[in-house]
Amino acid sequence: MNSDILLRLGLTLGIIGLGIFAYWCINQRLLVKAQNNAPSLFSSLPNKPVIVYFTTPDCIPCKTVQRPALSKLSGLMGDKLEVVEIDATERPDLAKQWGVMSVPTTFLLNARGEARYVNNGVARVEKLMEQLQTL
Amino acid sequence: MTSQTLQKVDHSALKANQLFIIAFSILAFILGQPILVAFVALVMGIGAALRTPGFGIVYKSILKPRGWMKPDVLDDNPEPHRFSQIVGFVFLTAGSVALFSGLPILGWTLTWIVIALASLNAFGGFCVGCAVYYWLARLNVPGFGKQPPAGTFPGMKPKASANV
Repeated sequence: MNSDILLRLGLTLGIIGLGIFAYWCINQRLLVKAQNNAPSLFSSLPNKPVIVYFTTPDCIPCKTVQRPALSKLSGLMGDKLEVVEIDATERPDLAKQWGVMSVPTTFLLNARGEARYVNNGVARVEKLMEQLQTL
Repeated sequence: MTSQTLQKVDHSALKANQLFIIAFSILAFILGQPILVAFVALVMGIGAALRTPGFGIVYKSILKPRGWMKPDVLDDNPEPHRFSQIVGFVFLTAGSVALFSGLPILGWTLTWIVIALASLNAFGGFCVGCAVYYWLARLNVPGFGKQPPAGTFPGMKPKASANV
């Protein structure tokens, strides 16, 4: 009985692992899309980390969590960070090009304009800060 | 496509429903308890009959009042989500019948399909049942009359209000 449960637990973990791997692959694909489309956002290299933030006017988590987190981060980092906010309803073309499936979605680009991280859903200050430190 | 009347749909209630479906179904598999699969099927069936997310009562009575989940109300069509729940109910009912009939591979496969689709919806924001609904609507199948909200890929969570 116990070995049966352990076997099923192992199978479950394996399936969940496969799901996480598939999610990782999708994120990698999003980063490639972001990489290809990032240059169109800037006339020249930003020379500092950039967060590209996709939102919409009626996105509640964007208003209550994501925007305050980005404001706090901007306050902490000052001129060392640029935040580009894109309203997906006004720029559906950009949302499509970047492969944005839901809002909020944040892309982190390094100073060379290379897309390094993508966060589907809310990303808190601590997580964004951690990602920025490894750019 | 954009002239249809959309309704306010709380996607947090849908997400809570999906998370409970996933949790109970996985627990059923690990413990080898088909009765749990039947329980989830029953809750989904009741939800489908009442036109509400099956486990939505937990969201409304516990998760939302305590602030553990915040409402995420979007302009959307509720019909595709109801259809999706009916599809899940059918799969889990068939899975339960298979499990109680001594067909574990078929039963657990059907259960895992529901887990996978609910996970895709909960974590990826893509509702396969809704996509099927919109596909049937495009084929003019009777009873499937709604179109996706403007600017929304069929099955994806709406990014914004379509009637602002």
